[in-house]
Amino acid sequence: MKSLRKVFEVPAVLTLIHYRVVLILVATVLLSVSFVPGLTEFRTLSLSLDRAATLGLVAVGLTVVLLLGKLDLSVGSILALSGIAAIALQPQLGQFGAAAAGVLVGLLAGILNGFLVVVLQINSLVATLASMIFLRALCHFLTDSNPISGNDPLFGLAVSRALGGSFSLRTFIFLLAIILLFLWLTYTVSGRHTYAVGSNEDAATASGIRSGAYVFGAFVFSGLMSGIAGVMQSLATNTGSPVFGSTIALTAIAAVVIGGTRLEGGRGSALGTLGGVLVLAAITTTLEYESVASYYQNIVTGTILLILILLDRIASDSPRSALSLSSLLPTRAQKRSPAP
Amino acid sequence: MKSSLRFGAVAAAGALLLTSCGGDSPDNGDNGAEAAEGLDICYVTAAESHAYVSPANAAFQDAADELEVDVTLLSQEFEAQTGTDQLRTCIGRNPDGIVLWPLDPQAYIPGLVEAQDAGIPLVLINSPMDEEAEGLYTSFTGPDTYEQGQLAGDVLDEELGSEGNVVIIAGQAGNGTTIGRTDGFNDKLEELGSDIEVVQTVNADFDQQRALELSRDVLSQHGDDLQGVYANDDTMARGFIDAWTESGRDLEDMPAIVGINGQQDAFESIEEGYYTATIVQSPEEDGRLALETIVGAATGEEVDSRIPIPLTVVTEENVADEEPAF
Repeated sequence: MKSLRKVFEVPAVLTLIHYRVVLILVATVLLSVSFVPGLTEFRTLSLSLDRAATLGLVAVGLTVVLLLGKLDLSVGSILALSGIAAIALQPQLGQFGAAAAGVLVGLLAGILNGFLVVVLQINSLVATLASMIFLRALCHFLTDSNPISGNDPLFGLAVSRALGGSFSLRTFIFLLAIILLFLWLTYTVSGRHTYAVGSNEDAATASGIRSGAYVFGAFVFSGLMSGIAGVMQSLATNTGSPVFGSTIALTAIAAVVIGGTRLEGGRGSALGTLGGVLVLAAITTTLEYESVASYYQNIVTGTILLILILLDRIASDSPRSALSLSSLLPTRAQKRSPAP
Repeated sequence: MKSSLRFGAVAAAGALLLTSCGGDSPDNGDNGAEAAEGLDICYVTAAESHAYVSPANAAFQDAADELEVDVTLLSQEFEAQTGTDQLRTCIGRNPDGIVLWPLDPQAYIPGLVEAQDAGIPLVLINSPMDEEAEGLYTSFTGPDTYEQGQLAGDVLDEELGSEGNVVIIAGQAGNGTTIGRTDGFNDKLEELGSDIEVVQTVNADFDQQRALELSRDVLSQHGDDLQGVYANDDTMARGFIDAWTESGRDLEDMPAIVGINGQQDAFESIEEGYYTATIVQSPEEDGRLALETIVGAATGEEVDSRIPIPLTVVTEENVADEEPAF
């Protein structure tokens, strides 16, 4: 074990571990391409990304929540509720108005979560577990447990169809969200404060950062992202269903964690999350192309998750990369954040 | 009827292939027998392990192997949201044909439009979709759920002599099969001018455990004044029977009970005399018919937009002669 430890202290190995998300992504894609003919076609890429976009948007919101050391389990319920609003309100508000209302619903749900966690000081796991159950029940109540459909099935095609032979609208929105999150976390003061709050909330508060506001904001952001994802999902299928998104929360958390964000908070990045989402998308596309039963996909996902978390622990246990206060200083933070 | 139908389809396909010189299949030779061979079919199924779906999938695959057709099977695991994405992935692969098991009457419509734009024939298997989807797919093969409801209404009305209190144990609310089987039943009673009163309709989601729980409530409310039960499938009927015996009641005093699907245990119960009827719908027939239809469509043959699978009402009288579906 000791000699094994030593191996992990070699700088080259540490660097590899540091970029483990990229490694896993490259490995997954290479394996996929060698197994499945036709996977390299641009159309396949475009479709896979479109499928990943819903999960990706939810993961973007969750990245910030997890960075702060909190959890949001209610994202799936928010996704369903926003989608239902975006479809059900179409007769009253028109298609665009209803879509906006759906996003607003996501935002309000996020405010509810923020209130529970920050103002009432409920543990985020418990608080969002409660709102997950409550909001899911609300979805069933509002729709009488039946899926509802919008008035024009073709309206939503604009969301999921490739624009001018490139990517779909929701893919672009997802990629834009990743870029904005990356810029915010890396180059702004408030972004760096987020890392500080996530590492040690009390210390951050003592040094003058309004930690509560950051946590509150993170839940609102997560709700907003789930709302956007839900609205686009419902438009793409022209259906508001009370069962949509029932498994997405855990998959999105998996994507964020594969991307190197730690559940304990304080470490993670936007590009890591992009990597995590792409790994999952590549696995799904490959195994589906090969007609592999879906539970095998979960075996692969679970294994990758475990390997990455073990690597993460080795990397952070080794003295060279131990997380110190200095790593939170602006210069280090800028260097670290792109791909921890 | 079923064998003649299948023979007809195969004969028509054969005749067409012998005379036509171009199908959709890229490697379409002059020899008709080879035309179906090597076709690439994308099959979005409901689930991988389920009492009804699994044998249907297996029959689908067997029929494909027979015709040497390649099948890519994607499983929705009973999540329509997954299915809508998988349908679009299928379209992206540009197969010779797509078979879709719809789990929602609406959500796949945008995908159907895309398949049509891409010129890919698409067959719906087993479950119906809403009217808005009509014309967006090539064919719908599968049981006529409305007809099943009608048959069930007929048999229960006869058994009860057109009077009595009846409870309906339905599947998931909003599910196309639930709607067809329940509406068909209610409409039939009305059509017959029956005095049967449906005192309660519960949604037990095609789940035995859920049916058991709901039946307990039903029994405590109507237990002593209940003459008939109509369950949307045999599994839920089993749940009711469990609740009945659990409450200390005798099997001999069971209300008339009618289920659908023709499961093995329903057959046994009919033989034992406490189960009125079930309606056989064969999953093997379901799967095979869908594959044969999509192969027909993919090779350029004209196929009917609605191809039902045959249904048989099984009661005490013919239970010995019929085979359970699964």
